Amino acid sequence: MSSSKIPPLTYKVVAECSVSKARAGLMTLRHSEVNTPVFMPVGTQGTLKGILPDQLIELNCQILLGNTYHLGLRPGIDTLKRAGGLHKFMGWPRAILTDSGGFQMVSLLQLAEIDEHGVNFRSPFDNSQCMLTPEHSIQIQNAIGADIMMQLDDVVKTTTTGPRVEEAMERTIRWVDRCIEAHARDDDQSLFPIVQGGLDVPLRERCVSALMKRQVRGFAVGGLSGGESKHDFWRMVDVCTDHLPRDKPRYLMGVGFAADLVVCVALGIDMFDCVFPTRTARFGCALVDSGQLNLKQPKYKMEMEPIDKECECSTCKRYTRSYLHHIATNESVSCSLLSIHNVAYQLRLMRTMREAIQRDEFPQFVRDFMAAHFKTDPIPIWIREALNAVKIDLPADLERKEDLKEEPTAEKKREHLVEEQLTAS
Amino acid sequence: MKFALESFSKNSGRLGQLRIRDGASEQKTPLLMQTTKGGSIPWLGADVFESHVSQKPQVLEFTLSTMDQMAEALAQWNNQDRGVSDYVGFPGHQNVLLLRDPCENTPSGGNDRDVLPLFTRRGRGSLTAERYMEMVASIQPDMYQGLCDADTNAGSSNKRVQKSVDRTEKFMHYIYGEKNKVKATLLAPIVGGYNTFARTQSIKHAREQPSDSYGGYILEGFHSNGLTATALVPTQLLPIVEHCVKQLEEDKPRIIPGAYTPLTKLELIRLGMDVFDTSYAYCASYNFKALTFSFVQDGGEHVPFLDITDDAIKEEFTPIMSHCSCLTCQKHTRAYLHHLYKTNELLGPILLMVHNLHHYMSFFETIRESVAKDTLPQLIELVRNQNSSSQVDYSIAPNTKTITKASMSKGFAAAAV
Repeated sequence: MSSSKIPPLTYKVVAECSVSKARAGLMTLRHSEVNTPVFMPVGTQGTLKGILPDQLIELNCQILLGNTYHLGLRPGIDTLKRAGGLHKFMGWPRAILTDSGGFQMVSLLQLAEIDEHGVNFRSPFDNSQCMLTPEHSIQIQNAIGADIMMQLDDVVKTTTTGPRVEEAMERTIRWVDRCIEAHARDDDQSLFPIVQGGLDVPLRERCVSALMKRQVRGFAVGGLSGGESKHDFWRMVDVCTDHLPRDKPRYLMGVGFAADLVVCVALGIDMFDCVFPTRTARFGCALVDSGQLNLKQPKYKMEMEPIDKECECSTCKRYTRSYLHHIATNESVSCSLLSIHNVAYQLRLMRTMREAIQRDEFPQFVRDFMAAHFKTDPIPIWIREALNAVKIDLPADLERKEDLKEEPTAEKKREHLVEEQLTAS
Repeated sequence: MKFALESFSKNSGRLGQLRIRDGASEQKTPLLMQTTKGGSIPWLGADVFESHVSQKPQVLEFTLSTMDQMAEALAQWNNQDRGVSDYVGFPGHQNVLLLRDPCENTPSGGNDRDVLPLFTRRGRGSLTAERYMEMVASIQPDMYQGLCDADTNAGSSNKRVQKSVDRTEKFMHYIYGEKNKVKATLLAPIVGGYNTFARTQSIKHAREQPSDSYGGYILEGFHSNGLTATALVPTQLLPIVEHCVKQLEEDKPRIIPGAYTPLTKLELIRLGMDVFDTSYAYCASYNFKALTFSFVQDGGEHVPFLDITDDAIKEEFTPIMSHCSCLTCQKHTRAYLHHLYKTNELLGPILLMVHNLHHYMSFFETIRESVAKDTLPQLIELVRNQNSSSQVDYSIAPNTKTITKASMSKGFAAAAV
């Protein structure tokens, strides 16, 4: 317990945008340095689908996410302990963040009930009673050994209203204390509390205040990647980052899509995770600045260009849209090839943002990004308002002189709907 | 195409140098082609293959049944002179186009009239000789097989066997007439099941042609691809192959696709076969078996496979093989592979394929060394018995285990006290 011992997490702000709340930082963890803002790809069951650890290192991925619920089931805590933790088990030498398992229990198990003790459910296989308590979640996460762990929180659907929201927020605070108490490896692992409070500003503010009284090395913002309206979404993020301390990393859970990442970086978020890039790859979709290409569509059959000429990933260096069109969803290698590209895309986006912040050119980056992303479609109002709130102005909806080669707006709206459905589950 | 024999012996196989495309690398035979699906090595992107299996030039085995839909795009691609190997991510590598996927069981039937059934992912299509040559012209492989009916195996009736020879003769009649329209080297098919008379007929049909009509032979009709090839009885297969070899000239390579076991391949090499494919490694990987058979004499007993589905390895934190230098054995454990199997994760087959290809390709290097040193019989003996008192079984049974939830850890339930 000497003060000369290096803590398992240090964070420093390396640059701040002089206009918005964006910041670039360096987080040093036991297993790796992490440059923020950072996007963490999700390796649910101890692997990113179809990607080798070596490939992730080549892409300069510094941290990934593992799901406690899934790992607790398979391979199970005993095996993980005997393997010496998840890093060793999966052969990933860099940083890992684990969630608490609570969200998956609530979303995957229809029979889950929450009370003060924890999350209860009746196993559909053998009718036995199971419970996930804050203590047990921490116990499992200590065994997994991730660099960053999440508290067990009382998470409610984003569309929930009424006294349940406040109850969940208050309980989350009580549970963080139980988590902190149970945490047996604070020398190696950092526990993040999660700000709840639904879509209610005072509740969110109270939660942030309370959590800031605890000795923690970072904060997460939860309960905000479900079906809520984007107008409420960005406001809650903004409220949280207004009050959270400057000198600790902020992690927005479950976000996401490129435009959302850019806005939330502007609002002062440092860490993100989302299954979207790896999940959409399985359906034959590749991420590009203008959204995503569904490579199964007939129009790509004869396109002999790579997904993205600017992309330096191994997929874009070797393969054409045409070839990927033919193998997408037919040969499982296509899942690997598209996942690699999509992860590369997300990581490149974050790197570009960090560099822009460091050069203090972030507002211009945002303007350029929104122009490339939305092209001739109008920029959604919520994005304008969110960026406005941090003093980034976007030009009036653009008129491009190029031919209108893109799909009409209706189709783009359908694409966005599909995207949302993919992440909601 | 150029094929030069370095050495050949009566009963110890032959060493050769094969260059399929002018200006490309020379490949040593006995040669292992990389089987592909849709043009890609199963589960492995080109980058992964080059980083973790081999950086050496390969011969890719393309199959029309998994690539037929690409013909149109390839026609356009080839207008830019870039080559089909480049299209699939392996610029510069040589390639051979076959009809059927040796990794998967080819359904029987559909052998009517003058069409060949082509079983693709979308169902059964029909291929005329004319359409086939159009597709070959679009795809522009370096080498391609003649259109043939190979729908025979050990149990086929004489009638079916004879039909396969007759239909093949008809297809090939057209192809010999049209072959100058494509640049690629033609492989003359030899079919005829296990019937010596039929096989002789089939060979005659080829050798009646001018010698420069084709560059080599492809021997089919012994199995229905997929796992059926791993279950072949050598006492049935080898005599008929020997019967064929006796009637073939020395200076043309002999290609024999299919998931023949390591032991059967050695026997086929002994008889004078030159080119094989990696479908056996695929079948092992698909059924969650890691190849562990030994081809280097170390006095120890060995087993052909490690069964990744076996719960016994759930907590074995050791590699598949302790002295294997492949990525999977260097960086991952049996326990992790078992976990990837249990969770149905894509990384499982990827890691298995890396190991199995590495292992199989090393095996073939050893084969070539043995043929060169004339020690093939000792290698055959080692592979046959693996230093135990009886023959080992290299056949691959399909993995029929279902992953039941009952075998899952209790997860959080363990805390429910």
